[in-house]
Amino acid sequence: MSDSGSFPGYNQFLEMVKTTLAKVIRSSDKVPQHVAFIMDGNRRFAKKNNMEVNEGHNAGFESMCRILELCYESGMKVATVFAFSIENFKRSTFEVNWLMELAKDKIKQISQHGELAEQYGIKVQIIGDRSLLPADVLKEVELAEEITMNNSRAVLNICFPYTGREEIVHSIQGIMKETAMGEIDYRDIDEQTIEDHLYTQGQPPVELLIRTSGVTRLSDFLLWQLSNRGCTIELVDCLWPEFTPFSMLKILIKFAFKKTYSPSNEEDDELKKKK
Amino acid sequence: MSTESDLKSRVPPATKTPLDVSVSGLKKTVTQVMNTDVDDVLKRKNINTNQKFSGKIEYAIYKTLLIFLYVIYAITRYFQREYNRIAIKLLDLAYNPSNSPQLIRQDVNKLQKIPKRLAAILESKPEGDIGGGLPGLINDASDVVCWTVSAGIKHLILYDYDGKMKQNVHELRAGIHHKLAKYFGLDNVPKFAIKIPHTNQIFFDKDEDQKDLSPEKSTTKHKVAVEISLLSKVDGRDTILELTKTMADLCAKGQLKVEDVDTKLVNQELTQLVGHEPDLLLFFGPALDLQGFPPWHIRLTELYWETDNDQVSYYVFIRGLKQYADCKMNVGK
Repeated sequence: MSDSGSFPGYNQFLEMVKTTLAKVIRSSDKVPQHVAFIMDGNRRFAKKNNMEVNEGHNAGFESMCRILELCYESGMKVATVFAFSIENFKRSTFEVNWLMELAKDKIKQISQHGELAEQYGIKVQIIGDRSLLPADVLKEVELAEEITMNNSRAVLNICFPYTGREEIVHSIQGIMKETAMGEIDYRDIDEQTIEDHLYTQGQPPVELLIRTSGVTRLSDFLLWQLSNRGCTIELVDCLWPEFTPFSMLKILIKFAFKKTYSPSNEEDDELKKKK
Repeated sequence: MSTESDLKSRVPPATKTPLDVSVSGLKKTVTQVMNTDVDDVLKRKNINTNQKFSGKIEYAIYKTLLIFLYVIYAITRYFQREYNRIAIKLLDLAYNPSNSPQLIRQDVNKLQKIPKRLAAILESKPEGDIGGGLPGLINDASDVVCWTVSAGIKHLILYDYDGKMKQNVHELRAGIHHKLAKYFGLDNVPKFAIKIPHTNQIFFDKDEDQKDLSPEKSTTKHKVAVEISLLSKVDGRDTILELTKTMADLCAKGQLKVEDVDTKLVNQELTQLVGHEPDLLLFFGPALDLQGFPPWHIRLTELYWETDNDQVSYYVFIRGLKQYADCKMNVGK
């Protein structure tokens, strides 16, 4: 990307192509409404390019912003990114502290005046077990949410610190509390009730998961949402900082094409019912 | 005059001012009726149509570009698919175990590690197709069982969305027995047990053993080469839902505290209700769709499928095992 700046106007041209293509995809009306990302490979990217680890994470953050811009431009409503797993606390204290600092910076940066969140009208939500966050980070997180509270065009869920199992347990606990208070009867609990108590409550179902760097596991991410029938899982074999908007475009075209030309499961079920 | 009568009929009866058939008079009447300026209305309408028009053109351009992209995508996809299909056919030939456990054993012995628990998502194809319907599904399932036994894996989870295998467990048992006899010879058919965690039933390869015993007791009594769990959609979200209901009920009655419920407890309960998390999940369809597989049980499961493949074939099985052997697990680190 660094040498491409040598042509005057080249970057602007790329930018134009990108926005046009985003609009083209938007016109298909088959854009996934909720996309989840596991951004794997920042550290390996740094190692590969002889960088410091934090430079790798910076590159990853920039890559994320580029991808999200494209996604929101093409009409996606919700993006969920896996920033920090509860399991990541197992890393060395030095690294954990350092990652916390980094996350604090980045969350601040996103929600700042004129940045990504304001540009696209994004409401930032930090989901996960917040009780594990240090006080100063928590303050920053709450501030970011407050600033972007009234944005309504799109949502960005930052999972920090999060695991899918913890989310399910969190939902169960929430339901238990409400039943104990007498707000709901245990006989009335259904799948929707559980969904309404997940961190992703009220958001469209996850339709697409993108995981980079060729790892073929969910790694405790959005387990409840991703195991649903009809959710597409795309595993990309490149490191996250190398994942360009154009690779994302390809995936979006593939997704839209599939939705347009092959009957979905729901339609199949409807056909069966008619018979 | 006809125009006059026309106008009269069009003006709402509520306006009591006498009609003046001229442009200014008309303007006045309309102003009275709508309480807005006509020029303004006309102007706005113009702008609106203009915007709509340019918007439509823009939309049309994007749509055309989209179709263009679709065509390019369809063409590249076609070649890619054909290429993949040929590769799959060649691989299938190269890996063909020809019903022999020895060859499978040889393949597996090359691997560094094998999964302790293996899961496979199976789909039944439409009734009319070759290998479709229930017989096709049972045939696929028995193939997977034979490979699993040959590879020396002790636990197998077979998942199908509708639970067809559960409903036809006797046919399945006969099918597996038949296939195993083909692989290992009639004299030493390996023993197996089929578990249905949802109804808490366990079936053995012989008919008389069909009892609802607690699984631990019976499996130790009968030494089996493989233990097969049949799962379907109800073991996924529905089971978590049932658990939630029970816990909520207990909590309302004051027998269970919210603080006592944690990941460990839920894990314990779900392991008892559904089983353990598999190490490797094989999917024999063209693009991965977990189809409601128990969400709790895919936390760190290695997923494997082959793009554009739509058959339950041995090479997917062995390549899945290879991937598992090569994968590096570093939880959180």
